[in-house]
Amino acid sequence: MVFLLGFLARRLLQGAAIIGLVSFAVFALLRVIPGDPVRLMLGPMTPDYVVEQTARQLGLRDPLLLQYLRYMKGVMKGELGRSFTKAPSGEAVGGNLDLNRGERAKVFDLIAGTLPLTFQLAGLALVFAIIIAVPLGLLGGLHADRWPDSLALYVASVFVSVPNFWLGIMLALIFTAQLGWIPSIGYNGFVYTVLPALVIAVEIAPIVIRSLTVSVAATMQQPFVEIALLRGLSRRQVIISHVLRNSAVPVLNLFGVQLGTLLGGVLIVEYIFSYPGLGFLTVQSVLQRDFPTIQAIAMVTTSVFVLINLLVDLISAYVDRRLDY
Amino acid sequence: MSTTSPTDATSASLATAKERSAARRMWAVASSYTQFRIGLTIFVILAIVTIVWPLLSSASATKLMIADRAMPPIFLGGRWDHILGTDQLGRDLLLRSLIGLQNSIAIALAAVILMFVIGSVIGMIAGFFGGWLDIILMRLTDAQLSIPLIILAITILTVSRPTPAGVILVLALSGWPTYSRVTRSITLSERRKEYVRGAQILGASSFRIMLLMAQLILPPIAFVAVLDVARMMIYEAILGFIGIGVQPPIPSFGNVMADGRKYLINAWWIATMPGVLLFTSLLSINLMGASLERARNRLYKGTI
Repeated sequence: MVFLLGFLARRLLQGAAIIGLVSFAVFALLRVIPGDPVRLMLGPMTPDYVVEQTARQLGLRDPLLLQYLRYMKGVMKGELGRSFTKAPSGEAVGGNLDLNRGERAKVFDLIAGTLPLTFQLAGLALVFAIIIAVPLGLLGGLHADRWPDSLALYVASVFVSVPNFWLGIMLALIFTAQLGWIPSIGYNGFVYTVLPALVIAVEIAPIVIRSLTVSVAATMQQPFVEIALLRGLSRRQVIISHVLRNSAVPVLNLFGVQLGTLLGGVLIVEYIFSYPGLGFLTVQSVLQRDFPTIQAIAMVTTSVFVLINLLVDLISAYVDRRLDY
Repeated sequence: MSTTSPTDATSASLATAKERSAARRMWAVASSYTQFRIGLTIFVILAIVTIVWPLLSSASATKLMIADRAMPPIFLGGRWDHILGTDQLGRDLLLRSLIGLQNSIAIALAAVILMFVIGSVIGMIAGFFGGWLDIILMRLTDAQLSIPLIILAITILTVSRPTPAGVILVLALSGWPTYSRVTRSITLSERRKEYVRGAQILGASSFRIMLLMAQLILPPIAFVAVLDVARMMIYEAILGFIGIGVQPPIPSFGNVMADGRKYLINAWWIATMPGVLLFTSLLSINLMGASLERARNRLYKGTI
């Protein structure tokens, strides 16, 4: 128990360091790039002195480190600032912005509004991916070098070769536009999640298939599998309680490493389907130079990344008791 | 000291002999797989078509021919001079796709080589010297890994003018952490081996020892990097699709498909055909890459 607490404390501290590093990098990057967000907020017709005045009001002319510290002080209090460009309704305010801060949406609300949708999408995608990948990977690993193995390899190679945005366009064209079976553009109920989730699942599945095939095949070579069979356990029991359990660890670890790829996939797919999640918000914020929102999104994704990796390690240690923290 | 160089040379030549045979064995095992042969065949055919067709074709990839716009592909009643049909401005789709493929492979290859070099140098330094250098480099790697490629790419490329060099740099920047992780972990285990200690005792410099180790460690990683070429080709297409990759009028898979998306209902082939070509080329590369990966797993039994 003490070990566990020590481990948690160490990892959380490391995680905090990573989040600090990433948020400062993004903060600095956003401020050295050309393109004045105040100019975009106020529109091209605004006189220069008004732009300058607003920039001062927003604190955008202070030294970089001071701005960052002020920002982090706010973050500690749970204050993520207000969007430069969006009204609370989610619409872009653009050129006709009233200087009244109350008019602009809180970044916290924007992210809180999109996060559940993105989690729903990612969750459904994971379910689809597991349904596709686990049987294929397991069979491929159990029958190494026979046809299930080849099948797993071919399916994985085909899936990994499909460009996600192209698949998204094709699915929307065939199933939404031509056949009219499933609606998919925008969001108006749970059905709208199905096609985007399918695209992401096709992207994740090959990773799972490959690593599961390899790790199941490796586990089958272990002496304890043979011993379990000699002990009189049925093949089925051995596979479920010994093989699957031991093969899960490498797959879980890989999942932690591949999380960045997954987030990237979510972003593109949301963009294709105009699915109003975190990814769509990200693309919009970047295109509109909405600094506070980009900044917060970078911090949220990094935190999610750190937490899920921590969770992956905890689950791995739970599944395979031989691993220490 | 006179004994130093012969021993050193022997261990080095032993190491290279082992490495050579390992790389060759890996190639031999991989090329015995059916999927590798299928992949190679498709790849060779595509490569020949990609190089030869633009030279033979009378069509132009960038010249507008409004009279011939949105012409369907040949199997839907099109004309033979536009086998895959034409786009919304009358440009030959096959030619545009093939030039897109050329650009895509060149960019992906350059990005993978760059990320391989950056990643393996950082990983070897971290694994070899250990200590605080290791901690700093690996935290840096973690931080880099935790920013999704797409967010990084969009941020950098929207604010700077997207050029092919910029795209290569962004892709490489996002890909190196995986290489530095793998290289570091192998370097850690390899460092304890006898030939390294031997070289150390004989007074070889750290740089020299790392060169020696690199010959052993890097080839298997380089083989599997083939898979990353395919991944980078997808990312290049994604960037082009969002409008921050290779810029029009130079055709790339991404920008051709982004244009085609606007005409999806009336001329679905504009977005579809380049995708089919991209998919086929990625499949050929991935089949070869997967075979190489499998061969490596078999030869190294999970040690790398």
